[in-house]
Amino acid sequence: MVEARIPHSLQEALILMSQATYTIVNGATDLLVQKRSWSGTIPKFSQPPLYIRGLKELDYICERSGMLEIGATTSLETILHHPKTPKILQHIILTMASPAIRHQATLSGNIQNASPAGDSLVGLYLLDASIVLHNRHHERVISIQDFIVDVRKTMREADELITKVVLPIDKFSQCAYTKVGPRKTDAIAKVAFGGLIDIENDRIRDIRIAFGAVYKTVLRSRKIEESLMGKDRSAVPEMKHVLLEGYASLIQPIDDQRSNRWYRKTTALNLLEAFLDSISR
Amino acid sequence: MKFQPDIGTPIPRVDAKEKISGAAAYINDIDMPGMLYAKTLRSKMAHGKIIKRHYPTLPEGYAIIDYRHIPGTNIVKAIYEDWQIFPVDEVRYIGEPILLVVGENKDVIIDILEAIEITYEEMEPQFEWIDSVIHYHYEKKHGSRPFADANRIIEHTYETGYQEQAYIEPQGMIGYLDQDKMTLIGSIQCPYYVKNAVLMALGWENERVRVIQAHVGGAFGGKEEYPSLIACQLAMAVIQVNKPVKLIFEREEDIIASTKRHPAQIAMKAAIDSEGHIMALKVHVGIDAGAVIGLSGVVLSRAMIAATGAYTIENLDVTGDVYRTHSVPTGAFRGFGAPQMMFAIEMFMEHIARNLGKEPLAYRMAYVAKQYDLTATSGTFRDPILMQKMIEEAMKRSRYEEKALQYQNLHRYQGIGMSFFLHGCGFTGSGEATTIKAKVRLRREASGVVHILIAAVDMGQGVRTAMRKLVAHMLEVPIDQVIYDLPDTDCVPDSGPTVASRTMMIVGGLVARAAQRLGMEPQIAVEIEETYHQPSEIQWDEARMQGDAYPAYSWGVNVVEVAVDPVTGEVSVVGAWSVYDVGKAIDTLMVRGQADGGLAQGIAYGYLEVMRHHQGKIQQRNLTDYIIPTAADMPPMETYLFDNPYAYGPYGAKGVGELTLVGGAPAIAKAIEMAIKRQITKIPVTPEMIMELMTHGED
Repeated sequence: MVEARIPHSLQEALILMSQATYTIVNGATDLLVQKRSWSGTIPKFSQPPLYIRGLKELDYICERSGMLEIGATTSLETILHHPKTPKILQHIILTMASPAIRHQATLSGNIQNASPAGDSLVGLYLLDASIVLHNRHHERVISIQDFIVDVRKTMREADELITKVVLPIDKFSQCAYTKVGPRKTDAIAKVAFGGLIDIENDRIRDIRIAFGAVYKTVLRSRKIEESLMGKDRSAVPEMKHVLLEGYASLIQPIDDQRSNRWYRKTTALNLLEAFLDSISR
Repeated sequence: MKFQPDIGTPIPRVDAKEKISGAAAYINDIDMPGMLYAKTLRSKMAHGKIIKRHYPTLPEGYAIIDYRHIPGTNIVKAIYEDWQIFPVDEVRYIGEPILLVVGENKDVIIDILEAIEITYEEMEPQFEWIDSVIHYHYEKKHGSRPFADANRIIEHTYETGYQEQAYIEPQGMIGYLDQDKMTLIGSIQCPYYVKNAVLMALGWENERVRVIQAHVGGAFGGKEEYPSLIACQLAMAVIQVNKPVKLIFEREEDIIASTKRHPAQIAMKAAIDSEGHIMALKVHVGIDAGAVIGLSGVVLSRAMIAATGAYTIENLDVTGDVYRTHSVPTGAFRGFGAPQMMFAIEMFMEHIARNLGKEPLAYRMAYVAKQYDLTATSGTFRDPILMQKMIEEAMKRSRYEEKALQYQNLHRYQGIGMSFFLHGCGFTGSGEATTIKAKVRLRREASGVVHILIAAVDMGQGVRTAMRKLVAHMLEVPIDQVIYDLPDTDCVPDSGPTVASRTMMIVGGLVARAAQRLGMEPQIAVEIEETYHQPSEIQWDEARMQGDAYPAYSWGVNVVEVAVDPVTGEVSVVGAWSVYDVGKAIDTLMVRGQADGGLAQGIAYGYLEVMRHHQGKIQQRNLTDYIIPTAADMPPMETYLFDNPYAYGPYGAKGVGELTLVGGAPAIAKAIEMAIKRQITKIPVTPEMIMELMTHGED
């Protein structure tokens, strides 16, 4: 018999977590689906669930020291409507689940789930988001890329809680995002592509490219991105072939009940090509 | 006579309030004192011999129900009787129910299920379509003989996949003993199918089984024959435990184990003369029944009879086979073989024209059936056919010609497709007269209140509203003076199952006749009965599949416009227009409701709904992976109705429910063909298939 707990403060949550190992339940929009059981029976948790969605002190989104800070229990819908939310993240949230789910689901939940098809993760990788974790005694900050290590595996320790996500304020001149799902809404991505670019006087100051659902985590290659930094936008077409080959060698999608490897890879590269074409245009 | 608006003028649904407010009791809302729960143990093997069953010692109040508890016949009564209630020593598909565990506490039931060990000896499963259990053949005029003189022969094979009914409410039923009467309340389409199945399984006399319909949250054919299986199992359990027992499927269980639309492979061959005319068609329809044949033979015959769709072709040779495999049983689903066939014939007519270098629309138009033409089975289209006008209307409303011209010539990944189709109303062949023999009753009380006594089920299509409206309109009384309770076999006669687009035309026709007699009856408190008689001009030879397969046909035209994303292969449906001849709409708004839902389901069958099995195991097992369209996937749909009253339908009404589904898939497939300039022979046309065709396909 496991005992569910509903802490009333962050402090209480962290104390509980220092004493026992809990399954953190935030918006529960994914977790309760994973734990579904015969209707009328209680979902089976191997560890006691700790319900944090009601923690008001983590329900905020604000600008601080030139960064955007998003508390762990802030709903996706709230994030969507905040004026400082980066455009790419707005685009992504609009493709996530359904309005009802977006009112309940959270960004930190999507992060902790660490699904290869996690929609928000593409945006967070592109933005170099930082994840802030607390345990009873200390706080640490870790980049999203280092935080997610594998399919559904993160660096979070058992006594740690994601308390906030920190994003830079948008500085990109152009952003692109495509989620390829089996239908227009309420769907899990077969492939996702995101691109950010900052161009000044036709020169690429910053470029970032990420793919979702084609690798065990979101795929982003700083090495390939660097090869484009400082280049004139007119140089992109001649580099296109090498860039496509570069990503083609990294993309490793799977065959499953939702799509197939060939389609995922072909589509991912098509999306990249369309993005590269849009730069030189 | 009082002023009465036209029968078709929309009225609010009689059950809208109770359904919207949540007051309507669906099966899972019903609880009874002392009620127990049942859960099914299912085969994990596609084909295997049961060597040993190890059952744990059961706590007090818990029971395991298996084949040993069947007092009557271990067969679910259906058309082809090969559906075992519980297997004895061989399992034939993954998900086959082996036994029920019954008890009070669900967690304990799960523990018992986990403690049960079934030892199998694995047997070779068969997934190829080689074991033909039913084979049919018919010819029209010279059959395939014209092929010998053909100038050219064109052939293509068309494939369609599974489709899941995806009703919102999964399968479910409650059984209990009322005195010594077995009583079943369920989410069902056909109360008397369930009753007759339970009677045979129990071997009891007629009066001792009673079936009551609960509110039904969607069915689409999925609750036609399948609930009979659950009812038989539940009845065994009720006898053993002598308490009410509730059995409700979980969604994944429902998807894995319940019937779906038959996958089909349809080989079409045309003999073409020197002018490019079709001399004859040779058609072979193969359908996958899965491990149980059940009513697959009737599905096959409906498909075969629809071999020429909405066209008239002079000579035909049509064969078909029902194949048995070790996969989940397929069964009834809105359209019942017609959606598969309509896809094949509609694409084939288009492909013949293209192969001959002719303009497809003009080529197809020349073959559209006309009144007094012979049907595929050499019956006669006796009633007027309005297709020429309906096609013109559809083209005008959708601006078809202008768009088609533009999209054909430009490479902009846009397309528009138009399908022509018909649907035979009522049971195939002489089923209505020989098997169903529908009976209806109207009873007027001294207070003037009229009861409609029929077994038709409202599963969301609105039949309770439509029937009450019909009777109220005919008797010129307010609708609240007409009562139509949820059917209960102890109270209503067997008016037949709620299937085959028959409810308004056949059952409604009888109700209207009874109402007419009631209207003339001087005595107030009186009961009127009507029984179905086949119109004498309708003749059907079952063995040779010759004659009038249906008393009447509904007709339709669908136009679907799409945009394909060349980067991802994704399809957006940007427009949909429909024109239907359903005789006469008893309520135009309800017909539109059917039309929107049917078209969405039909279009989605063509491009969205993917379901496959791997070694007998269904891969898309929930509504996250099995994709049905949302409102965001469908454009606004425009529907136009043409009146064409049918003599024996009430106010001229014919069938509606299935018609609106059967044309969606070919319409969208044609639109996608136009957009990507590639030939499509298989549905669903997924982005994966589109990408493959665009990369490697032929023009």
